Order: sequence, then structure tokens, then C-alpha cells
Amino acid sequence: MDTESILELKNITKRFGNLIAVDNVNFELHAGEIHAILGENGAGKSTLMNLIYGLYQPTDGSIHISGIQKQFRSPRDAIANGVGMVHQHFMLVENLTVAENIALTVAKFSSRVGKTHPRGEINPSHKGNSNKPKLSKFRYKTDEAIQITESLSQQYGLTVDPTALVRSLSVGLKQRVEILKALAVDARILILDEPTAVLSPHEVTGFFNILRKLKDDNRSILFISHKMKEVLEISDRITVLRHGKKVYNGITGELSTRELAREMIGEEVTEIERNQNIITNDIVLNISNLTIRGNRDEITVKDLNLKTFRGEIVGIAGVDGNGQRELAEAIMGLRPILSGKVEILGNQPIGTRNIRQCSVGYIPEDRRTMGIITSFSIAENLLLNVPHLDNISKWTVIDQTSKFKTAKKLIDNYDIRPPNASIPAAALSGGNQQKIVLAREISPQPDLLVAVNPTRGLDISAAQYVHKNMLTQRKKNKSVLLISTELDEVLKMSDRLYVMSRGKLLEATSHRDDIAALGLLMTGETDTNA
Amino acid sequence: MPNFPDSYLKAKHYYLSIMEKSPRFFQWIVTPSLILCGAFFVNGIIILLCGYNPFQAYVAAFEGSFGSPRAIGETLVKSTPYLMTGLSVAIAFRCGIWNIGAEGQFLMGALVATFFGTKIATLLPQSTWISIPICLLLAVLAGGLWGIIPAVLKVARGVNEVISTIMLNYIAIHFVSLMIDGGPLQEASRTGPQSDPIAQWVTLPRLFESHRVHPGIGIAVVLAIILTFVLFRTTFGYQLRAVGEGADAAKAAGFSVAYNTIRVFILSGALAALGGAIELMALTPRLTENFSPGYGYTAIAVALLAKLHPLLTIATALLFGALSKGAFAMEAEVGISKQVTWMMQATILLFVIGFGSLSLLQKHHQTN
Repeated sequence: MDTESILELKNITKRFGNLIAVDNVNFELHAGEIHAILGENGAGKSTLMNLIYGLYQPTDGSIHISGIQKQFRSPRDAIANGVGMVHQHFMLVENLTVAENIALTVAKFSSRVGKTHPRGEINPSHKGNSNKPKLSKFRYKTDEAIQITESLSQQYGLTVDPTALVRSLSVGLKQRVEILKALAVDARILILDEPTAVLSPHEVTGFFNILRKLKDDNRSILFISHKMKEVLEISDRITVLRHGKKVYNGITGELSTRELAREMIGEEVTEIERNQNIITNDIVLNISNLTIRGNRDEITVKDLNLKTFRGEIVGIAGVDGNGQRELAEAIMGLRPILSGKVEILGNQPIGTRNIRQCSVGYIPEDRRTMGIITSFSIAENLLLNVPHLDNISKWTVIDQTSKFKTAKKLIDNYDIRPPNASIPAAALSGGNQQKIVLAREISPQPDLLVAVNPTRGLDISAAQYVHKNMLTQRKKNKSVLLISTELDEVLKMSDRLYVMSRGKLLEATSHRDDIAALGLLMTGETDTNA
Repeated sequence: MPNFPDSYLKAKHYYLSIMEKSPRFFQWIVTPSLILCGAFFVNGIIILLCGYNPFQAYVAAFEGSFGSPRAIGETLVKSTPYLMTGLSVAIAFRCGIWNIGAEGQFLMGALVATFFGTKIATLLPQSTWISIPICLLLAVLAGGLWGIIPAVLKVARGVNEVISTIMLNYIAIHFVSLMIDGGPLQEASRTGPQSDPIAQWVTLPRLFESHRVHPGIGIAVVLAIILTFVLFRTTFGYQLRAVGEGADAAKAAGFSVAYNTIRVFILSGALAALGGAIELMALTPRLTENFSPGYGYTAIAVALLAKLHPLLTIATALLFGALSKGAFAMEAEVGISKQVTWMMQATILLFVIGFGSLSLLQKHHQTN
């Protein structure tokens, strides 16, 4: 591989007020390499990427593309220079269809494609590009947009319905659209912010093949991930950030997983101890013949039966968009039930309010919109459910002293940073926002805890903390329903295991040691011997 | 993004960086001041173009609204309807309910007070202590009922409250006309489109001989304080804000969006109607067609300028009261038309919206 650098950062520093998010980082990205950026939440990975993508301007230092110093005032400049980004929080127009979103990007930047490489090291009109469908200049034509989307989908194996509204797509599918969008403008440098978080193992393999294809195409990829295994599998080089500083840079394979983890968090990672559970016959959650409709009126959960008992963690694995979100929402009374019933501790509470009062905790999939209110302070967010609010108030007046006392206790116990109860949750990192949700939902020790992707986006130590808390619940003879797209997590945590696929639950406890069989179940195969 | 000149970007950057360091100071002091300075500046230019001296005009306006105890009293009187309707709008907006209907609710309150004051009160014992509370209570009930209509339409049928409340405003305006122009509430002599004066014992007493300061001002201020407490210290206020600022999170928490929508609409309607009743009972003994010069609409600016905070609403209502009082002074002493005041109010609203987008920018800044 040639070591010509396509992107170079020199002494980049980014300050936000008193906070130094990125501290004097030097960094080089070679043409045609996959470069992984590792780091805990708040280590400065996202900030660094946003600097490259022009969302932020560096406080100090310079950015060079193919040896020429550049200044990106906005993502528009970055895209014009061949930098594409797939964000962790999607940048899609929710009320448009997939094809319209793609067309929007293509139309906006089509005039710039081809100008990305003024020195001509790379031939911009590489093969396959010439017979690509094109957009009309002045009129938007639906079928053209659909054609473009479909040809891109096929080329890279990212299947998605071009006519679907983005709003109605699951997180996993939205991400596919984001990837397609970046590919649609022919980015030479592709920044992927945790791209695999929502993909199934099978999809990840396919996705990595795409990345390799892109790499063979002499495109460079910046790959941000928490998952060590993936980083080791796909990347050529690794850079580790800690507290905004670059602490390691080297060729993949130089350091072991354990050594990399130590670089990341500065200390040794410990494995969680997991005791055998006491099997009980105390039913906590009893779902029978449950059928639910999704956002587009399609049946997303069909005739589902599930029981959870005290003292166990029941795991539901599966690729995003197979009805998991709808199932959790139906349990919580946030989605109407078409038929069947949900019993909690023998009752059939109606409405989220009553369900909440049956000692049910809920960690929703999307913490930023469902878990917290970003404009509320930490203390206020820690009150955000009916039983909490009732406990802390007398004659509807909220007791301020106990509000702050509780907040302080939870902030200490859950290590929420910064430890200031009255600052708005918007000022916190994603991991700390999630800790607010956890503190609120787990601390009352609910009889039933419904957790959907509770560790998504969390760093290793925070994720471990979540797992420890779930195990404590289990030890205290409570019931936990863990719905997660991360197979590792479900395998590690659950006593009984299911795979959810196309709205159906498939028994999978017997396959827990057979990843291949689980993968097949997740892709919808019921015959695991196939 | 458009290409702004460097100086603008620098100023914006500077603004945002101070904003990050001391957000409270900024939210409560700097931004409103900048908005006012901007509006005064732009209007100064307009006054200048009209051929007058803006400084002279502003001095006259200031003296006219704060220059003497009498002027201050009159400013307070003028501020009261702005405060009541402003509180109504602030409470609704806090809950994410875009109630544009304060105007109609204000009028319905006044209409009910007129009805009571001219038709019912004469049948009751002639006691201020009985009649005034009943009258105010009836107005509150009427406003609450008027507020239930858009609430039910929204909750049950998904009707956008902006549309329904604007329509209800028209209905209220024309219903008032109907009642006092040929309708049952027209004055007994049937000469003009106005009602009879309300009974003496239903009018709010003046606190001083020399000017029109009335107890309604006190009611409004106490309500603003109570609402602040309700909003930030009670479960009702907490739920209301949660629904307004994160409906999905509020739902997941177990709060009912529908229930809160109805509650808040009733409260919002009741506040505006109470404002209408107070205005009628304290100042104009008769209901006329031009009873409200658009208080309910200006209230939106009052509430937004106060960042939807009930206590700050007192200050912004006072500002709008002073502006309209000052307008008379400007006209009397400098000869500038009162229209300038309405332009001033509109300019302030534009600046509020402009700076509002800047604070949105800051939100974006923080979440990234």
C-alpha cells in the first residue's frame, strides 16, 4: 500500500468554552486505508470527525486534503472536497422518502463531484460511474430518484425500500439510507460514526465487504467504533483517543484487545461475574397472542407469546426493525394492541400511567426523545415518570429538598458527569444522558425492567455498569426483559434467549453457543440445521 | 448555508461563546436588552424618516409613561390586559399548545362580565362583595369553556389548534358584535353598537382618586407569581412543561398528553377571559366593538419576549403598556402618529424571533 496521505490534521485543537474537546491532535489518513478511531464516550472522537466534516471549525491547527491546506466553513465545503460522513444521529429529512433523501443530496452536490481531485491521482470517472442513472437538472422525477437509489442499493447490497418515508424506518434502516447518501455523492473520504451499532452479525459481514470494496476503490474510511472485535477485523490502522488527546497510533494487530482497551480507558477491563440464577415460577410479565401494528399500519408483531419470571433476564436478540421496538412500546402502553393481552404481575393495566404504577421500569430505545427531555435539568429528568413524581410531591407540590437530595444521590451512585443537578441534560454526553435514564428507571428496583438497547453508544465502563445493575435486579428476584441488537450483550446477560425475526419470537436458548445458528435465526431462517 | 461576512460570523461566535459561559445572565438580561435596543434603533430610523427627532420622541414617550405618578399609574392600567393575555399565552405555549385564541377568550370574558353586569347583577343585592367575585368567576368559567372547544378538537379529532383558535377568535369577535349591535346586550336606547354600562356595584373600585389604578393590576401580578410557582414547583407544571418540551418522553413517563392539553387549554382560556372581565369591570363600563385593540395577538409577543416565563411576563407586559401609553405622549407632544407604536411592537416581535433562532443555534451547539 502506498503511504500517501489524503487527509492530514496538524495540531488540531477544539475548545468549547473551558472544555478542551480535542487537544493538539496530529493525524494522518492514507489513501485507500480503513482507519479506526477508538475512544470512550467524550474522548473527542465525534468532535474530531465533526471538525473534518466542517461542522465545527478548529480553535487551532490546520486541515490538509491531499497536501493542500483547507478551511471547511460548513459540511458543504467538506463534501465538495470529497469528505462524506454517516452520523451517529442521523441527518435525514424525516418527512421525505428514501429516494427523495438520496436525490436531495445528489442534486445538491452533483455539480461538485469530479472536482474532488484536482491533481488527478484518482480518476474520478471510474468504471460503473458512467452508466449510473442521472437526475434531471430542473425537474424532480420520482422514478429517476428511485432508480438512483435502487442502483446504489444493489451496488453495495444495502437493501431499503426507496418509496418508504424515512420517518417510518427503523434506526437500522435509517442508517442504511445515511450510508447510501454518502456513497451517492461519491465521497473519497468516508467518516463512519459507529456504523455497525445497529447491524446484525450477518449484516456486519456484508457491510465489511462493502468497506473492503470501497477500500479497493482507493477510498479512505474513518471508522469510529466501540467494538474492539470489529475494529481489529476491518481496520488497517488504529488511533486511540483519550480525553481529547491522541494516546496511541499504530498498525492493527500491534496491540491486543486487552492492551487497546487499556489505552482507551487507562485501566484494565474487568469481566463481570455472573452467578447461576434461582429458577422461579413467579410470572412477572405474561404476553399472550399479542399482535401489533407498526407505524405504517403493517403487522409488526404477530401472535407473540412470552413469559418472564422473577429472578431472570430474558434476552431478545435480533436485527433492528423486526418488531422489537413495537413490542417494547406495546408492553409500556405506548402503542395500541390489535389483539392479545399483556399481563403484568397478574394485572392488565391500561395506559402507560397505570403500567408505570405496576412497578415497571423502561429504558427506551431512543433516549434523546423518549428517555430524557434535553431542556430539563438533570434533577428534573430524574423525576420523569409517574411514580417518582408522585413520591416526591405532596398535594401536587414538588418537594425541592428531596428532589435535589435524590438527584445528588443518584448522580453519585451512577456517576453522572458533570455532577451538577441543575444543568440541562442537553449539556451532557450521550453516555451520561443514558445514565440519567438508568438511574431513574433502575434505582426504584422495579419488578419488571424493559430495556431496549440499553448500552447503545455507551463506552465500555458505562456499559459494564448497566450490565452490573441488571444483574443486581436479577439477584434481587426481579425480572428483566433485555431487547438488544447487540448479540454479545444478549448472550452475556440473558438466562433465556429469544431471537425476534419478522415479528415472531424464536426460541434460541439452545443455540447460545452456536453463533452461526443464531445468525441464521436472526436473518429469518427457522431451520437452524440448514 | 449562505455565506455571511466574516464580521457577522465573528459577532455570532462571540455572542454564542458568552452565551455558553453564562447562559442565565444571557437569557434573562442580555438577549432581551439587545432585542429592545435593536427595535428602538430600527424605529428610530423610521421616526427620523418621518421627519421627527427620535430622541425627542423617545424622551416624550418615556416621560409620558413613567414621568409622573399619574403616568406610571396609567402605564400599569394599560399593562394589565397585556399581562393577563400574556400569561394565558405563556402557559399554553409552555405546554406546546399554540393557542392563538387569547383574543377570543379575552372577549368572551368581557362579554360574560357585561351580561352579568347589565342583566343579572341588577337582580342581586347591590353588594360589591357578592357581585364582583361572581362576575370574575363566571368570566373564568366562560373562558375555560371557550378553551375546551379547541382542546377537544385537538385531542379527539387532531385539529391543529392554531387554526381552530383563530377561527374561534373570529367567532368571538362577531358574536360580541351581534350581541351589542341589535342583540340582547345592546344598550336600552338602541342608539349605538354598545352595551349599557354595567351596574355600579360590579365595577372594580379605583384605588386612588386621581387616576385609574384598580385592584385588577394586583390580581394579575399575584396570578403571575402563582403561575410561576405552579409551573416550576408543582407536578401539574412539571407535566405541562414535560409535554411541551418532550412529548414522547412525557408519554413514556406515563403522562397523558391529551389530559394535559385539555387542562392547559382550560387554564389558558380562563386567564385570558379573566383579563377581559377585569378590563371591562375596571375601565370601560360598556362593552363596545373595539373593546380589544388586539390584546390577544400582542400577547404572543409579550409572552415570547418574556421567554414564556410568568414573572418576566410582568416586565414585558409593563413594556407594552408603557409603549401604548408612550404612544399617546409622542402623539401629543411630538406629533408622531400612534401607528409608530404598533410598528414598534411588531419590530420587537421580529427581533424576538430573530434572536430565538440564535438560541436554537445554541441548542444545536450543545447537543453535538
